[in-house]
Amino acid sequence: MKLNISIYKILLLVLLLGFPLFVELYGQPVPGKDENIPFLVTFGKDGLTSWGDADFYQIFFFSIPKDYGKPFYIRVFDPDCGGENDEIQGEFNTKTKFSVYGGKGVDPEKNEESRGLLKGVGVNYKTGNLLASKIFGNEAKYDNKYYSFGPFNPSEGDFNTRWNSNIFKIVCEGISGDDGNLYRYFLSSDPNNDIPIEGANAFTYSYHFRMWNNFKSVSHIYPYIDTGIVYIRQSNFDWDIDGNILVVSRYKQGIPVPISNQDNWVKSNIPIEPQEVGSSLDFQFHKRQEELVKNNNVVVTLENQRGDALKFFSSPIGGVPVYQPKLGYEKIKPKK
Amino acid sequence: MARRLLYIITSILIVLFVSLQTSAQQPAVYQVKRMSFNWNGFSNISPVIVKDGIMFCSNRRLSGFKDITGYDGRRLYNIYLAEKKDTSEFRKPRVLKSDRSNKFNNGPLCFAPDGKTVYFTSEVETGKIAENKNFKNHSGIFIADLADNGTDLISIRPFKYNNPQYEVGQPSISKDGKYLFFASDMPGGQGGSDLYYCEFINGDWAQPLNLGPKVNSSGIENYPYIHPSGKLYFASNRPGGIGKLDVYFTSLYNGSWEDPFLLPEPINSTSDDFALVAEPNLQTGYFTSNRRRDDQIYEFASTIIRKASCDTLAENNYCYRFFEENAIKYDTMPFRYEWKFGDGTNATGPVVEHCFRGPGTYIVQLDVVNLITKKVTYNEKTQTLVLTEIEQPYISAPDRISSNQKINLSADSTNLPGWKIAQYYWNFGDETIAVGKEVEKIYLKPGIYNIQLIVSTEPESGGLVREACISKNIIVIRQP
Repeated sequence: MKLNISIYKILLLVLLLGFPLFVELYGQPVPGKDENIPFLVTFGKDGLTSWGDADFYQIFFFSIPKDYGKPFYIRVFDPDCGGENDEIQGEFNTKTKFSVYGGKGVDPEKNEESRGLLKGVGVNYKTGNLLASKIFGNEAKYDNKYYSFGPFNPSEGDFNTRWNSNIFKIVCEGISGDDGNLYRYFLSSDPNNDIPIEGANAFTYSYHFRMWNNFKSVSHIYPYIDTGIVYIRQSNFDWDIDGNILVVSRYKQGIPVPISNQDNWVKSNIPIEPQEVGSSLDFQFHKRQEELVKNNNVVVTLENQRGDALKFFSSPIGGVPVYQPKLGYEKIKPKK
Repeated sequence: MARRLLYIITSILIVLFVSLQTSAQQPAVYQVKRMSFNWNGFSNISPVIVKDGIMFCSNRRLSGFKDITGYDGRRLYNIYLAEKKDTSEFRKPRVLKSDRSNKFNNGPLCFAPDGKTVYFTSEVETGKIAENKNFKNHSGIFIADLADNGTDLISIRPFKYNNPQYEVGQPSISKDGKYLFFASDMPGGQGGSDLYYCEFINGDWAQPLNLGPKVNSSGIENYPYIHPSGKLYFASNRPGGIGKLDVYFTSLYNGSWEDPFLLPEPINSTSDDFALVAEPNLQTGYFTSNRRRDDQIYEFASTIIRKASCDTLAENNYCYRFFEENAIKYDTMPFRYEWKFGDGTNATGPVVEHCFRGPGTYIVQLDVVNLITKKVTYNEKTQTLVLTEIEQPYISAPDRISSNQKINLSADSTNLPGWKIAQYYWNFGDETIAVGKEVEKIYLKPGIYNIQLIVSTEPESGGLVREACISKNIIVIRQP
């Protein structure tokens, strides 16, 4: 009997301690494991928006827990634009610049400009201290391989008290050419291997990504529903009418949202229930089944009722939301 | 003692008689008993049930020597309170005093719902002329407050529709305080004394309205009493009665008063019978009769069983609405909801309705088809429903019938597991009863009748007899 109780205690301890670890372990790959997105995408600035990139840059933020004191690396998979994976337009002539920023001005909760969503003259999303940058062209030695930025000292980030983390930012810009650079990130404690950092996560406010080239794969993104949100306004760009987008949560079995055609934005509102605050939604991207749309690149942004942008976390806060069906019944008067 | 024994034996015989007549409709049976506080040789009338006993009016002597008379030489009526000594005996009545005592006739009376405001009949003063021996004041209604001592009427003020040219009196107020009924021979009636009512609107009594020709005849209608149930009792000497003044009751049906119903003997007699009041359950009450020469107050008791507390019949209902609670919040959902009800039937939709055939255990299953992925989630949610019959006596009877139509009533669907039912007792709500599992009934008058079915078991161990009561309303419409 005592043995049984001990086993239960151990199991409980493992569950309590292990569950958050389990959730966060996948925080470092960008796109995240649960997102099932093959690649991020950024086109050279000479590309056409109809190819799936609305602004030719993409910003991601990494949060490093305060109590993590060791150096870390931001590894970029396939940073060049050429060879495998990338989307050629004529011939590969695109240069892509990756820049890592830390320090004051990076944290997007304190500095809205840093999110990269503001447009106009004088707006600069490259805020903070530039810690490292590198330009990649069509270079076989980086094709289908990693390039590691770093080492970075966690204390070089912009500290966010709410998340108790240091925030870093990586900006990918298509500085010339018109090809699509497809790439992924991995936040690692090792320059040569993908070694996750416990408790770290990655997020963005504007997701530019490549859809799968098959019918069955379903991609997901996980916006976090912060306090005070009563509805969200989604915008999707250049979806090419490629199937359906469903919004799922513990309380939503799958609300369809209107989808965009080539080179246009479509917006709609999604109501948020009080119980959904403090958790993540699951935006599911289901490919069209009748005809395969290949090399489809899309952009998704979300904002709340006040116009504030929502974060998409690579590792969903609160875990992947799973719909909980709720069967109700009530007595009615018999029909005579 | 001998009288009490006789009373008990009579009651037993009546019950036995009723028991033997299974399936037969029984007339109402009342026992009447003369009240102990009556004085022979004097008039004792118009009882009113109050918390501590009975109030009534009498022209008795105030003491062995004192005899108060009016200008016309007749003894004056006063209001008395006979307090209950115990459940059967009364103390010596005490007179209620007021400024009008010993000057005018006072009474009958009634109480407003507050229990403190008294409406009573007295005389409308007509000045010097009233001192003429041959002059008789007309009656009017007066309003007073009952003092804390319970026997003084203070702050007396006249009712606004009193008139020295005609009689206004015998007030009775509905339990909600909104309607005041009274008798009057004011001009414009059906003849003789008629019944009128006023409605209390915006803090004042509205103009009196005649109750109409169904209630008022060309003869005398007086002594109205509005019972808490809504039944209006009154006295009338109209043709068709048992003799002289008889007690009738009527009820409002669809906004109009029904044809009055003559109460049976022994409440009514060939003499004057009037001023009936009753307890809320209508099982007991009091009335006045001069069947023994003088006006005297009698108590009546119904031998009919009618429960004050009786559950309303609940129909067994196995109909349900099922829904996916989150799905119904949104207009368009790319899902198909397929329900299996566990009885071999299915339905599709986010909201479905289904009536099960009867009691049983049903496992309701919801399968969901994602119309985008075509994926079917079987058993996404299940719900076990255990449906049982309601444990109750059951009245099988139509809801609506015509007057003079014979109907069959059955208790056959009674569901009281473990009960060995010895008797099915029916109270039809019109002062008639029947005994038996299946009975017949004819309602003579339109109205809404509340039927009670009272079932009782054989004596169980320890002599315990279990009893259950269920009631159902039946609407009787006028025979086409």
